[in-house]
Amino acid sequence: MKNFLKKLIPLAMVVFMVIAISSCGQKNGSSSVDPINYRLKWLFNISSAGDLWADVNGHFQRQGLTVNIKPGGPERDAIRELELGRAHFGVASADQVIRAVSKGSPVVVLVQLFQINPLQWIYRPQHVTIESPEDLTSKNIGITFGGNDETIMRALLSKYQIGENEVNFFSVRYDYTPFYKGDVDLWPIYRNAQAVIIGKRLQEANDPIAFFDPHSAGIRFVANSVVTTQKMLKDHPETVKKFTQALVSAWIEAMDPTNTEKVIEAVHHFDPDTSPEIIVEQLKITRDLTIPFGDFEKGGQFFGKIDLAAWKETENMMLNQQLIHAPVNIEQYLNVWD
Amino acid sequence: MSQANRRQITMLIECNDLNYRYPSSQANLFRNLSCRISIPGFHALFGPSGVGKTTLAKMIAGLVEGFSGKITVHPDTGILYTYNLERLPGWSLAKDHLADITPHDRMPDLKKLTESFGIQGCLESRFSKLSLGQQNRMNLTRYLLQDFNFLIMDESLANVDEATREVIILQIKQLFPQKAFLYISHNVMEVAKFCKIILVLRSADKSPQITEIKGQNQTDQDIPDHPALEQTMLEIVHAS
Amino acid sequence: MLHRRLYQFFIVYGIGICSLFSIKYILNLSDYVIPSPIEVWLTAVDVFMRYSVNVLDTLSVAIIGHVLSIFMAIVVGIIARLTTGIGTLIKIAAFNIQAYPIVAVAPIIFILLGDGLASRLLIASMICYFPLLLSILGILTQPVSDIEHFFQMTGRMTWQLEVKIRIFENISKLIMVITGSATLAMVGTIVAEFIAANAGIGYTIRIALYQSDLAKILVALFIIGISTSIYLVCLEWMGHMLQKKWEG
Repeated sequence: MKNFLKKLIPLAMVVFMVIAISSCGQKNGSSSVDPINYRLKWLFNISSAGDLWADVNGHFQRQGLTVNIKPGGPERDAIRELELGRAHFGVASADQVIRAVSKGSPVVVLVQLFQINPLQWIYRPQHVTIESPEDLTSKNIGITFGGNDETIMRALLSKYQIGENEVNFFSVRYDYTPFYKGDVDLWPIYRNAQAVIIGKRLQEANDPIAFFDPHSAGIRFVANSVVTTQKMLKDHPETVKKFTQALVSAWIEAMDPTNTEKVIEAVHHFDPDTSPEIIVEQLKITRDLTIPFGDFEKGGQFFGKIDLAAWKETENMMLNQQLIHAPVNIEQYLNVWD
Repeated sequence: MSQANRRQITMLIECNDLNYRYPSSQANLFRNLSCRISIPGFHALFGPSGVGKTTLAKMIAGLVEGFSGKITVHPDTGILYTYNLERLPGWSLAKDHLADITPHDRMPDLKKLTESFGIQGCLESRFSKLSLGQQNRMNLTRYLLQDFNFLIMDESLANVDEATREVIILQIKQLFPQKAFLYISHNVMEVAKFCKIILVLRSADKSPQITEIKGQNQTDQDIPDHPALEQTMLEIVHAS
Repeated sequence: MLHRRLYQFFIVYGIGICSLFSIKYILNLSDYVIPSPIEVWLTAVDVFMRYSVNVLDTLSVAIIGHVLSIFMAIVVGIIARLTTGIGTLIKIAAFNIQAYPIVAVAPIIFILLGDGLASRLLIASMICYFPLLLSILGILTQPVSDIEHFFQMTGRMTWQLEVKIRIFENISKLIMVITGSATLAMVGTIVAEFIAANAGIGYTIRIALYQSDLAKILVALFIIGISTSIYLVCLEWMGHMLQKKWEG
């Protein structure tokens, strides 16, 4: 029996490793990057409007690239996929990037998709009044423990010197019932995505809604960005440049109000569960969050700008909350394009 | 003539024109089968394997349906059917089980039967710990303690040695002279020697399918009549 | 029995974690993808006690859910064997309902019952109930003719006796099914906590996932494995004692 185990254990390990290693794609250092795999952070929806637009309108092809856009999801982590060689580019949130960097991940930020974090808190003005951050005191606030909304809310409370014992945190997931029932006063929500759907539903029930925006309260926590690996950047700078240019140009076009109808069509094609009426509202809000410089004519060219100060602030928030144990100097990992 | 034979004989079971076929089979097992069983008496059902002895016994006991023809049973007849593979529940000792299932007025018989069947030493054991022969005797004992008029014993003593089997059959005949038994066995000498009527069952392509042969119906007081026994055995073999 | 189970678990866990570390160093992956052994150790030192409490919380819900599902499966199994029609209906229903992935049904349960103990308990019960029910139905509807025949012939058969005979005759199988379903109960509770509850190790794993902290997940898996092994051993021991007492 013991001899059998002695043979079995190394065999099991070898089999496990062979399967695991063979399931990893080619490392980014290899000569071929065709086709390019691009892993999104979430499922196809309005937050990937520019990515989908690039795919539909041949932006990548025009740069001579073949790109597979793959949807993300709750258990998908684009940075891990980059390291494992299963993806060449990905979308990750700033807290993911900073955590990865703090653990030695060779990740580089190429494009900051959102200039304003779409994460806000929805509330019903008929039930609660939130005119300033101080009004959060004694409210039941929904947060996803471990999520970036927790970090944002804790940073906000700290900034406004509101003790965490002065508010009631409520652990939230996908189910909005506690908010509908009034058990929770403020519920974290992506302003450009679910907020439009939930808001429409509540407004149809004559229940007005409002949003508390941490960005307006001075909390600049960076949201989604396009990332790749340092090795990819070093070994294939042209590919990275072409990909980035294609993606940025596609996003600018997608956010251009003159393309609204076609963008809605493209997004609806990939996200058929969301009606065009909803997508049109989502698109307007997404435009304001990605190009927040007044109107599109003035701000379009600034799409994708890496907001260094906001990144540093995000790093500080995570450091203060001990989500990372030491400064990572995030500016070293931000690839600022001319 | 034995004491049993001097009693009044009554018709107990009458089978008329029985036709039966297993649901999964094309061929008939019984074709126009007719027979009669009287009370009292220790009778036998004899025949080669697969000819339908168990099925016929179960039909008489009301355990098999779906046949044509008629089985007439005496209105007050309590029929029991037992077979050699039966087991007692494993969670209790044999004595506890026997005590549970023995009617109060039959308690004296319990002692008598266990003694005469040679299973008194097994009462403190669980059924699974007994030998196959002991298991057969234990199972038969509990049936004999029930209220019945007609007991079908389907190879109930199959695992008991020949000498003990003889003792048991003779005991049964002595203790239950007013009851009727149908003993299913493959032992031609045993049925010829101890049974009153031997119903010899044959395959459905033979007619008649069942033949009645008068057995020696020997008791413990009778002197064996070897030529007569040999004659009966010959008749059984010819009929089967 | 216990040391054998734990020994088996340590081997499996050891193979898994050594393979992970090997992959990490072969592919030169950062600690973000696969944590280093030191990080796993430091995380274990840091969270072991807290996670152990969480695992105990989960285990207690799993045990209650498991006991409930055993009880329910036996009751329904008994009802189902009374008449063929109801039995068939229950069997079909059990087959169909167990085909639903619990992760799809769980959100509805959380909407109806909230994210407290009741939902965790129900999901834990549901996930192990249907396989249990099918096995128990199989046992309770299968006659043990060699024993039942006497009681039927003599008019002594009652449903209680019939159930007793069938359970007794299949006790080894039943113990195996119950022990097997214990793992399902644990998995069910963790899934429930992962999806929506606010307590237990599943919830803790969820938070660790949000934080992309694989070291915490590896520590959690270790404690879950040990606890589940101990629970299985307890069940096997109880089954063994019951069998010994019953069979003499």
